[in-house]
Amino acid sequence: MKRKRLLVAGVIGLALIIAMLPISAACAPKEKTLKIGISTPSTGPAAEKGAPMGHANLDCIEYINSELGGVAGYPIEAVWLDNGYDAAKVVTNVKRFMDEGCLMFGTSSSKMMSACMEIANRAEFPGLVCFNAPILHRPPQHIYGQMTDYGDDWAAFAKYYMDNIWKGTGKPKMAMHLLNNTTGYGARDAARAKADELGIELLPFEEHADTTISETESLTRIKAQNPDVLYISSTPAPTAVIIKNAVELGMYPGITIGLGHAGITKALVDIAGADIVEGVYGVFPTVNWGDNVPGMAKMTEYCRKLHPKDEGNMDYITSWAQSLIMAEILRLAVENVGYDVLAKGDVESWRAVETQGIQKLNGYDVGGLHGPVSYTPGDNRLSKSLRIFQIQSGAITPITDWIEAPLVKYEEFDWFGK
Amino acid sequence: MNLPSGTRNYTYAEDMAILRTKTHWALFIGFLVLLFAAPLYLGNYWLGVANLIGITLIAATGLNILTGYCGQLSIGHAGFIAVGAYTSAVLTNRLELPFIVGLICAGFTAGIIGLIFGLPSVRVKGFYLAIATIAAQFIIIWVINHWSVTGGFVGIKVPYASIGGLVFRSEASQFYLILSLVALCTFFAKNLARTRVGRAFIAIRDNDLAAEVMGISLLYYKLLAFFIGCFMAGIAGALLAHWIGFLNAEQFSLTESILYIGMIIIGGLGTTIGPIFGVVFIRLLQQILTVEIVPFLEENIALPAGFATGVTPMLFGLVIVLFLILEPRGLAHRWALFKSAYRLWPFSY
Repeated sequence: MKRKRLLVAGVIGLALIIAMLPISAACAPKEKTLKIGISTPSTGPAAEKGAPMGHANLDCIEYINSELGGVAGYPIEAVWLDNGYDAAKVVTNVKRFMDEGCLMFGTSSSKMMSACMEIANRAEFPGLVCFNAPILHRPPQHIYGQMTDYGDDWAAFAKYYMDNIWKGTGKPKMAMHLLNNTTGYGARDAARAKADELGIELLPFEEHADTTISETESLTRIKAQNPDVLYISSTPAPTAVIIKNAVELGMYPGITIGLGHAGITKALVDIAGADIVEGVYGVFPTVNWGDNVPGMAKMTEYCRKLHPKDEGNMDYITSWAQSLIMAEILRLAVENVGYDVLAKGDVESWRAVETQGIQKLNGYDVGGLHGPVSYTPGDNRLSKSLRIFQIQSGAITPITDWIEAPLVKYEEFDWFGK
Repeated sequence: MNLPSGTRNYTYAEDMAILRTKTHWALFIGFLVLLFAAPLYLGNYWLGVANLIGITLIAATGLNILTGYCGQLSIGHAGFIAVGAYTSAVLTNRLELPFIVGLICAGFTAGIIGLIFGLPSVRVKGFYLAIATIAAQFIIIWVINHWSVTGGFVGIKVPYASIGGLVFRSEASQFYLILSLVALCTFFAKNLARTRVGRAFIAIRDNDLAAEVMGISLLYYKLLAFFIGCFMAGIAGALLAHWIGFLNAEQFSLTESILYIGMIIIGGLGTTIGPIFGVVFIRLLQQILTVEIVPFLEENIALPAGFATGVTPMLFGLVIVLFLILEPRGLAHRWALFKSAYRLWPFSY
């Protein structure tokens, strides 16, 4: 009986604590803030990317509020919600952002944004996604890509290859190994749209899952067609498997290998081994840790202070820059329409943020962490710059300056769908 | 059937009534008023959570008929939900058919696919049937990913649900649509359990050999259970598609299928109220952990880096394990005990 009472008391106590959490927050004194929503997959299958990205978003906002005095004198209030890499959860997250009067929202993953973009587009609630895919912004609506998309990676690499690496005659044969989601299909779409124009012959596409442990069979098919270049658009673990298998089959070194930005990270070198991936090319839209750019010092300081384990993680840089961009958007919106319009937190505010904030971005410099950020009518990619890297002695080394990725209007191709 | 002290049934109709006393009616009407007034006091976020609970509840009720009543374990329920979701998406997006056509076709398509994958249930049961239904999960998702009609890996957009000229744009209007279908499905499940079909399901679950000896056709009733269970999954899938507005096969993972099993076990297998308790408990737990607890810990407590992000899966797992140890017969059993105590009041026994 006594145990039962204790159990009941415990359950009631726990329920009261849970119930008090939002109440305690609601009782806090109100100040004039600019609210933004941030949803990251900090738990679940993508937590190794989502958790540091969430940290970076919040660390950057901490920096903006404590050292820069917020935006135009108003502190940024971040409503951060974990989405667990779950489509239903990210949908309810976005609804909560709208309910709470957030002015815009950010997500890190293209998959999560694809799950909630329809809700946001229908409500005209502007969103900014770190990892971008053509489906998120073609045709352009209310979702904006912080950086170039997976298709741009392919286009930039293919152009670099044709200008600097290909020395043969006729069309080079390009094989593509694609992760079976937006990461891989973004590159595929760009190849379909641009290969002819660039003078590249595409071999039949090969696909893989993110759980793959061997791609010997698919690489054997590719090898039989004598490719000159292999492009892999995938995450680090499967990319490592493919390159290892290519080495085992004697394909590499011998052909050129190029990677999209989801694959060329420090994790790839760690997983595959520096000697295996030596000489591999890749495309990446941000700088490296330790690069001599103005924004690096402050980001490193905050990362060491608040989340030291995230130092060295390239995704941290991306999300830190995302928060900087969101702050700049809010600054422009406050400057152009005033705080009172934004304070409403409704569709009028969202339109103001979009038209007077996002669409007024013009050459904003994120401390050199990635290319300059501008809005171009009809193009919802905010930063259009990326660089070509090569793995040299285990280090991911930039070999070009920033390259501007041209806009591809995918919706004009029948195969892209409505 | 237990009734409150001093209450008696004098006719067959009274005995069969779902709501038997004035108190029952008063509570039921009060509950309905509370539910239908929800958009007045809930914001879009909580209405969204309520809609997700409603959609999950329809699917879980179907699974409960299949697993809880008929004893046929299915670990591919998310796959059947995907069939319904994509059927409605393709019909309303690509063929521009009305939502109601998409909804009905979603139910029937999922039901027919369920029949096909339910065929092994005639020969195998238990773990073997579980493996067969896992195969359904993988095959369905593979087909969706590789078929251009469904949008493949990229996914497919889904328009708003609409009936006649009424477009369900707002969260509140979607809430009423989903709530109506939840009520319909729950009422159907409650009555099904009391019919000849329901009794046949229970007989098969308790001892299929004895049921067959009594003249119950195992082939017919097992497949019927698969059809009904998957039909409801299809309806839930169609609602999910129109609620989210965009479908991708990754939304229907094996983890979701397992979660559905967890929901009906926690709620209480083989009861109508069980899925309601299970779904509300699991979905609210998910929301509270990820939306309230984790951000609170991240903001207010200096925990080691990355610790707070592990809190959700840890607490979620812990709660489920504790629940299964302390109340293995589910929340429905606890509810039954509470009702018994209420009915016997003021007497102890």
